[in-house]
This record gives sequence, C-alpha cells and structure tokens, in this order.
Amino acid sequence: MKFWDFQADARRSTKGLLGAFLLLVLGIVVSVHLALALVFWIPALLMVATTPLTLGQAAVTYPTGFLATNVGLVTLMVLGGAWIKRDNLKQGGLHLARQLGAREVRPALSHAEQQYANIVQELCIAAGAQLPQAMVLPRDMSLNAFAASWEARDAVIVVSMGALEYLSRDELKGVVAHELSHLREGDTRLNMELAGYVFGLEMLFNYGEEWSERGMPVFGWPLMAVGWLGWLAGQALKAAVSRQREYLADAHAVQWTRNPDGLGRALRKALWLQDHAHEAAAMQSSPGLRGGSGLRSPLVAHMLLVDVEDSDALHDAWHLGGVNWLASHPSLEERIARIYGQEQDALPLQEGEQRWVNPFAAALPQARPEA
Amino acid sequence: MNTTWMVVAAVFAVLIVWGIVVYNRLMELRNRTVNALAQIDVQLKRRYDLIPNLVSVAKKYLEHESQTLEAVIRARGQAQAAATALRTAPGKPEVAQAMVAAEGVLGGALSRLMVVSESYPELKADATMRSLSEELNSTENRIGYARQAYNDQVLEFNNASKAFPAIVVAALLGFPALPMLQSTQNAQEREAIRVQF
Repeated sequence: MKFWDFQADARRSTKGLLGAFLLLVLGIVVSVHLALALVFWIPALLMVATTPLTLGQAAVTYPTGFLATNVGLVTLMVLGGAWIKRDNLKQGGLHLARQLGAREVRPALSHAEQQYANIVQELCIAAGAQLPQAMVLPRDMSLNAFAASWEARDAVIVVSMGALEYLSRDELKGVVAHELSHLREGDTRLNMELAGYVFGLEMLFNYGEEWSERGMPVFGWPLMAVGWLGWLAGQALKAAVSRQREYLADAHAVQWTRNPDGLGRALRKALWLQDHAHEAAAMQSSPGLRGGSGLRSPLVAHMLLVDVEDSDALHDAWHLGGVNWLASHPSLEERIARIYGQEQDALPLQEGEQRWVNPFAAALPQARPEA
Repeated sequence: MNTTWMVVAAVFAVLIVWGIVVYNRLMELRNRTVNALAQIDVQLKRRYDLIPNLVSVAKKYLEHESQTLEAVIRARGQAQAAATALRTAPGKPEVAQAMVAAEGVLGGALSRLMVVSESYPELKADATMRSLSEELNSTENRIGYARQAYNDQVLEFNNASKAFPAIVVAALLGFPALPMLQSTQNAQEREAIRVQF
C-alpha cells in the first residue's frame, strides 16, 4: 500500500469536501431567500396575467428587512444546530465511552487485556501521539472498535471484547492504529461539527413543516423543499468526508505498524462476520454477549472500525453507481483492496480462537531470517 | 539619516528576525531528536529491568539449562554497560557500535532461551512467564518504534536544515546533519527477537 499517497489523497479530498460543504450552506441561504421572494412574486405575476397591469405597475414590495431576516434565520439555524449538537461530545470521550458501557482496560485481568494495553502504548510511540485512555466494551462480542475525543486530554480508544478474543496481536495492533489516527487527526470533532450543521438544515425543514401546519403552506413548502434538499446534500457530504477519514486512518495504520497484513486481516475477519451473521451468532453462544447495540449510537457510528448501521430503506435508496452516498464507511471490500493493492477473501473466525493460545508458534525461525 | 540607510537597516532587521525564526525552528527540531533518542534509552532500560524477572521465573523450570540462563544474564549486563557508556559519551561512533553489538548478543541469548523453553510445557503454561514475555515482546516493539520515531525526527531535522535558505543559518550557527540509526535499516535487527507465549 502506498500509504503516503493515500494519506495525501484523503487529506486533499477532505479539504475539497469541506469547501463544498461551505458552498452548500451559502447555497441554502440564497435558495431560502429566493424561494421566499417567489412567494411575493406569485401574486404579482397572477395579477399581470389576469389584469391589464404591467409587471412594473404590480410592483412587488417585500416586508422591511426581508433579506436580513432570511439570511439571519438560516444562519442562526445552521449555527444553532451545530451548537446544540456540540453538547453531546463536550463532556468528553471518556464520558461518552462510559455511556456506551465501556470500562477501563485491566491489564492484570487477562493476557489479552495486558496485550491490548501494551499495544496502545507501543503505537503511541510509533505515532508520536499522546496516550489515550484504553477501554474495553466487556459484553460486546462483535469485532469492532472506536475512538472518541473532544480535546486531546479526554481521548479514549475502545475495543470490543470480541476484538480482544478473535484478533491476533498484529491484527489488534492494526485496529488500534486505525483508531489512533482518528484521534490524532481530530476526526470526532470534525464529524460532530458537520453533524451539527446538517442538524441545522434539518431544523430548517422542520420549521417549514411547522409553518405549513399552521396554515401558511406558501411560506412552509419552500422552506421544507430547500431544507430537505440541503439536509440530503449535507448528509451526503458529511458521509463522504467520513469515508475519506476512514481511508486516512487505514493508511496511517499501515504507516505506523509498517504491516498491512495486521489491519488487513482484522478487516477480512470483519468481512467474514458480515457475510456469515448466522454462523457468527451461533459461535457467540450466549445471546447476552451478542454485540453492536451500544455501538449503534449515532454519536460513534462514524468512528467505528466497522460500520454497524442498519441498512434501512433510506440508505439502500441512495446506493447509486456503486457508491452508497450516505454510508459513513467505504465498503470493507474496498478498504481491504486498498490496503493490499488487490482484492482479498474474507477470513473465517474459528471457534475458541484466542490470541494467547498458540505459544511460540513457529515464530522464532521466521523472526530471525539469516541475513 | 537618509532613505538608503533606512532601507539598509530595514533589510538588516528583517534578516535578523528571519534568522531568529529559522534558528528557533532548527533548535526545536534538534531537541525533538534528542528527546526521541532518550525514548529509545527509556525502552532499553525497561528491557534490562524485565530480564532478571524473566530469568528468575524460568529458573524454576529449567534446571538443566543454567548455561543458557547465565548467558542471558551476562549479555544483559554487557548491554546495560554499553548503554551507560553511550549515555555518558553520546555521538562517539565506536561506543554506538559497541552498543549495537551488545544488543545483538543479548537478542541472540534471549532467542536461545526461548527456543530452549519450547520443550518445557510447564514453563509455557506459567502465568507469570506469559505475562513477562508479553512485556518483553511489547518492549521489543517499543524499542523498534522509538527507533523509527527517532529516524523520522532526524529526517525532519535534516530536511529542514538542508533546505535553502535555512541551510545558510544552519551552516553559520552550527547545525550539522544528524545520522540515522542505521541498525533499523537491517531487517534482522528490526524484527528483533520475537517472544510469543
């Protein structure tokens, strides 16, 4: 994997997408103004059509401060939305992780947790990053992980128990490195801010709906139309940014571990789980241990190693031209193909595959190639 | 004072400010490389501290392998001495060479210990041994990453100090290019020993 190229590529695309987002918000401001101006023009045009009056004589008069009100309203909603959403993460990554049921890692508890705690420290040296709090989702046997932070000092990396159970040391290393990239690049914060702006556009739609319910559809409908289109475009742009950040995190993981096979194999195992949901459920015998529920929170959906969003009708409907426009993650196949430079098969999980069994495992002859 | 002098003075002032900015930047980068080097030292020390514990646990099971255990302890002592020497006389190529050699011997001795312990199932099953070898394994990784980070810092410093016009300041104020840790270029060294339980 040409990880330097992929990183530069992802950074450039993010910048372009953020520019597009800014243009979108400006476009919405202009559209709302034009749509509401049209409301004033329709009676005038009707008058021109039905009476001998000319357009000049049926002069349209806007209420005082019409432009300022429209621009102010939209800006207020978009910024206000972002402000409201911010509250969710302001309490910090640690708080969020606890809310989702995570606990601090306990190296003394098991060999797996000892390895995990060590891996986080190793990679912070490799990445030159500050040490985040390492946490575990104890009842989650799915294969997943996420990172969250609002500021550097409240950063957390959380992995599911399933990841500790089913991944080898190298594979877990790839996963942790991927999450570390999200932390170092400030992806949580970026995504929260974008989500806030999209929420603001949604508020515009709701506001329009309220107006039409109050019997003023002439003002309500244009707001609803613009709000909905803006919301949709905002969602698509936000998802596109998120997909680029995933590629960036994958590229960072390869750079820091200098081992594409670590993250690559972890993603191939996740692919197998995705394709074999029933077999996986049978393996994870205790139903109470089935994972994913806490991870369905929209607050972390974009930060997960592997997407767990339900493929609902909305998402399916926007699957066009081979790209799922509203997906926060590129497909696993695509990510694996990028990491390896070619397509790879899924890797089946094996029952009781525990990383700390398999002592010595022919590692020594491989580890010291004769120079 | 006429206009010419004022222009000359202004140009001079700009040059001085620019020189200060470049100097500070180079200084910061060089300090970071010193810090990165210290990180390697921290990790090496961690390894030296772990080895006696590892040996004392292994001793309980490996009655007939006292030679192997002694070799590890001896190699650890030599490597530790070489590291101390490097700390007191940094930048001397022969001291650094001795250090790399001692580390190589230690790696070999640990590797032999691991091969020997292959045939002692009780040792492999010992929880303390497993925990210690995970720590040792992690330390090997940290040493590798700390070296990688050091080399990345050196690269950044060398790039910054060799670019024109900063190279003028670097030459005038004495910022020689720093050497990379060559040992990490060697695949064998980078793999270090792999301790897996």
